[in-house]
Amino acid sequence: MDDRAIDIARLIPWLPALSAVVCGVCCTSRKLRVLAAPVCIAAIAAAFVLTLKAYPHVFDDHGHGVFHVSWLFTWIRVGGFTADMSYYLDPLTMVMLIVVTGVGTLVAIYAAGYMAGDRGYARFFAAVSLFIFAMTTLVMADNLVLLYLGWEGVGLCSYLLIGFYYDKPSAVAAAKKAFIVNRIGDLGFALGIFLTYHQFATVQFSELFQILATQPSEASTPVQIIPFLLMLGAFGKSAQLPLYVWLPDAMEGPTPVSALIHAATMVTAGVYMIARLFPLFELSPYALPTVAIVGTATALFAATIAMCQYDIKRIYAYSTISQLGYMFLGLGVASTTAAVFHLLTHAFFKALLFLTAGSVMHSLAGQLDLRHMSGMRRKMPVTCWLMFFGCLALAGFPFTAGFYSKDMILADTLQKGLTGHSTLYTVLAVAGLFVAFLTAFYTFRLWFRVFMGPTKYEMGQEHGHGADHHPDGVSSDIKVEHHHEPHEVNWLMNAPLLVLAAGALLAGYLAHHWIGDMIQGSSARPLRQAIGAHGAAHHATLFGMDLHLAMMYISSVIAVVGIATAAYFHWLNRGAADRVAAKWAGLVRVLANKYYVDELNDSVIVRPLRFIGYLCFVFDRLIIDGLVMTVGFVPRMFGLALRPAQRGALQGYGIGMATGTAVVVLLVLMVYF
Amino acid sequence: MPETIGLHSFILSHFLLTGAVVFALGLVGFLSRRNLIVMFLCTEMMFQGVAISLVAFSRYHANDTGQTFVIFVLTIAAAEAALALGLVVLLFRRKRTLDALAWSQLHG
Amino acid sequence: MHYALYMASAIGAVAVYMMMPRRGYTPSRIGGLLGAMTLGGLWLYLAKALPATLGIADEAFVYYYIFSGIAIASSVRVITHTKPVYAALWFVMVVLASAGMFLLLGAEFMAMAMVIIYGGAILVTYLFVIMLASQDAGEASGEKGDYERLPYEPVAAVAVGFLLLATLLVASFNPAPANPAARGESDERIIATVLTDRPAKRLAEHTGAGVEGAPGLPTALADRASLYNTERIGLDLFRGHPLGLELAGVILLVSLAGAVVIARLRVDPQPDGGDGDAAGRLAADAV
Repeated sequence: MDDRAIDIARLIPWLPALSAVVCGVCCTSRKLRVLAAPVCIAAIAAAFVLTLKAYPHVFDDHGHGVFHVSWLFTWIRVGGFTADMSYYLDPLTMVMLIVVTGVGTLVAIYAAGYMAGDRGYARFFAAVSLFIFAMTTLVMADNLVLLYLGWEGVGLCSYLLIGFYYDKPSAVAAAKKAFIVNRIGDLGFALGIFLTYHQFATVQFSELFQILATQPSEASTPVQIIPFLLMLGAFGKSAQLPLYVWLPDAMEGPTPVSALIHAATMVTAGVYMIARLFPLFELSPYALPTVAIVGTATALFAATIAMCQYDIKRIYAYSTISQLGYMFLGLGVASTTAAVFHLLTHAFFKALLFLTAGSVMHSLAGQLDLRHMSGMRRKMPVTCWLMFFGCLALAGFPFTAGFYSKDMILADTLQKGLTGHSTLYTVLAVAGLFVAFLTAFYTFRLWFRVFMGPTKYEMGQEHGHGADHHPDGVSSDIKVEHHHEPHEVNWLMNAPLLVLAAGALLAGYLAHHWIGDMIQGSSARPLRQAIGAHGAAHHATLFGMDLHLAMMYISSVIAVVGIATAAYFHWLNRGAADRVAAKWAGLVRVLANKYYVDELNDSVIVRPLRFIGYLCFVFDRLIIDGLVMTVGFVPRMFGLALRPAQRGALQGYGIGMATGTAVVVLLVLMVYF
Repeated sequence: MPETIGLHSFILSHFLLTGAVVFALGLVGFLSRRNLIVMFLCTEMMFQGVAISLVAFSRYHANDTGQTFVIFVLTIAAAEAALALGLVVLLFRRKRTLDALAWSQLHG
Repeated sequence: MHYALYMASAIGAVAVYMMMPRRGYTPSRIGGLLGAMTLGGLWLYLAKALPATLGIADEAFVYYYIFSGIAIASSVRVITHTKPVYAALWFVMVVLASAGMFLLLGAEFMAMAMVIIYGGAILVTYLFVIMLASQDAGEASGEKGDYERLPYEPVAAVAVGFLLLATLLVASFNPAPANPAARGESDERIIATVLTDRPAKRLAEHTGAGVEGAPGLPTALADRASLYNTERIGLDLFRGHPLGLELAGVILLVSLAGAVVIARLRVDPQPDGGDGDAAGRLAADAV
């Protein structure tokens, strides 16, 4: 039995960990610095290869998914509590590992070119390696505590990389914001873990799933609370509605980081977590609908904001939030397959979009504003078409990756609405379709604005400005060119983009059935609230057609209409766009200001908190410090009063001693007589 | 034997009075005089007062241990005199003065 | 009686303070007179309460007043005299007077020891030191340059000293009634239990022989009164306090060695106040 052959997978997190150490050492010397990128790429690529090697072992002889627990070492064992460094490997883990290490490798290769000449070159790769370590630990964890370790680990790396340009105040503020907002969610997650242990006396997935499989459908109230707490963590990490505010600001980090962490992998950790613990979420009748509603609301909300943004990376950031909303919608309708499928395709095309945006930025010296660039296709043809493919996928153009996955989510939602005669899900599906239209529109608005029309551009203001920059002046030919002319980026950067573009176009078609098998073979398989998503009988029909087929037609039309609208307003007749914008100036202003959410948060949450903090500060200064100072002050006053007694003269001390003796004798006398 | 036992306690108190006065005068001298030699002389005087008390008690209790203690007191007095006077000479050689205030560097 | 003692202490304190050396006029005669009157008055007051049987010969008790007066007066002179040499000589007077009192108390050996050791050995050492550490001309000639006009230090010293004296006196004239075992009546019993030769007694219990019959043991304890004072002290010292005796020997040896070491230290004179490197200068000579 080559059962243990899967143990090779245990190395997957540790290769990047080793790389992180090596890159950290590379930080120390200018000469060693260039080694960082190859080491990092090699480590992540090796992890990818190991993933592929381990891949066949998560299926039994009949092709059904099975899970393995691969024990590495004892981590925490206290009484009956066990949380070991051991890995849970099943098809869902494999999907995540392929995304993380695969996209990670491509992004690392891209970054090797993108970050060239940056002062923090080795530091960057050390952090990326560490991130891959944490992320693989997260997806491979066999217990909630280890998952939490990875969860916090990716949060830490995210913090480090958002604040990569730590001399820039906005980057530091964004890093802090990301960390603090995630803290709120993580608190819920931690409480969820505590409650899970309290209720089930274990945090290990294999045992947990065994217990859950035998749970009655109506779980007790504490058990029903668990999914809501876990959900909070997922909303924080995956930037869902109340806690999404950190993600747009996170674009302060280097673009490859935005692509890898804040689009493809880390932000999907929440989706993964809910999928992984799906049996737990099924225990509450309200948990999944909540997830669906929040997901849809987020999708709609972020998509509308994305309509009126001008910063390329911010548009993509809001787009990411919106797409994550889709994934949560998929989870919420118990269609984990669709959610994870969208996660997979989204990883490809959003990474591609971010990286091409990075290329644009790279060649325009940090320029990211749509209003200051136009007709770039003549300058950067390769980037132009690569981004075009990414945009097609994001817009859900027929037969691209995004088309399949988004369609699956929407169809499953609609099916749940129609078969269950639930108005809620029908409304959600319609909202999802509207978001699809918006997505197509804003995606191509960006693309037409940047690459079509008359060629004109303004270079970014030197290095050290814009959302991304190279803070030091180490000689670099790429950077020297910046000053003169926009240019196509080199092939070190474009090659990985080609792979991603291929993924963005083909992953949907190729992985269509594969992903279904993978999810059905894992713990994410819906047990109780299944909607016959895949392979089961399709009850619902729409316009006399199979619902999935109907949905394909509908979303194709929507995508095309969205693209066409964008083409009209932002390519053929840009004046019309301005007129419409002027007509709806109020709405545009609200959207451009992101619904004033940051301002709202500032006045509703931050300022009161700061005021409370100020009160605490005053209390601390006046009362606490006052007490402490008084405690210190009284003896000091005594000392001041007694100091003259310490004259250093022998007799002074002698008198004190004799007085003491006299007093003692007096006391003895009083007692005796 | 009537002369060795039966000392009236009131008479004992008289001797104790003398001892106490000598002791207290020694203490006063030690505390008020600044000449190192006189100060040590005063400590010897305090010993003397204690010795008077001890011998008186010895007589009152018809117990010779009191006198034995005086021998020990003498021993300590002799040892102290030897060391202290040696130190006084040393200090005097250093500062050319016997004033105790010359050694008050530790004042607060 | 308490108030008499407190008052006598207070007046005595004033008298001693008046006699304290100071710059300018020192009312030492008035103070001396006041002190003598205080002591005399106190004695007269106490004499009214004298018991019928003193437990001591009446003549001897008259000598007590004489020796005690000399001792106290000499003590006052010791602490009030400005010249160390005279202070030392007055101290000899204290020693002699207390030796006289020892004689009255039947402690002949202690009286002689006092005179020989204190008057002979220790005081001579003091005089040698005074000679070695001769002050500069001003102080040696008794000039009162170092003293304050109205010294405040002696005030505190006198107050504390006489506060202690008052408490001691009150304690002396009020034997603790709470502990009858410590009073004269049961002394013989205490002596019997404390001073009996315990090893001999144990030996006797084992052998069945009487204490008197134990070999090598004098019959001293059975008939203590027949022994001389010196013999009794010797017995008490060697039989009751062998460890203390050894320790006393060790102390003397150590002080001897210490005195030798101190005497061999080489010290640089520093007339203008000390500084921090005293320890360095006190390093022993490497001979």
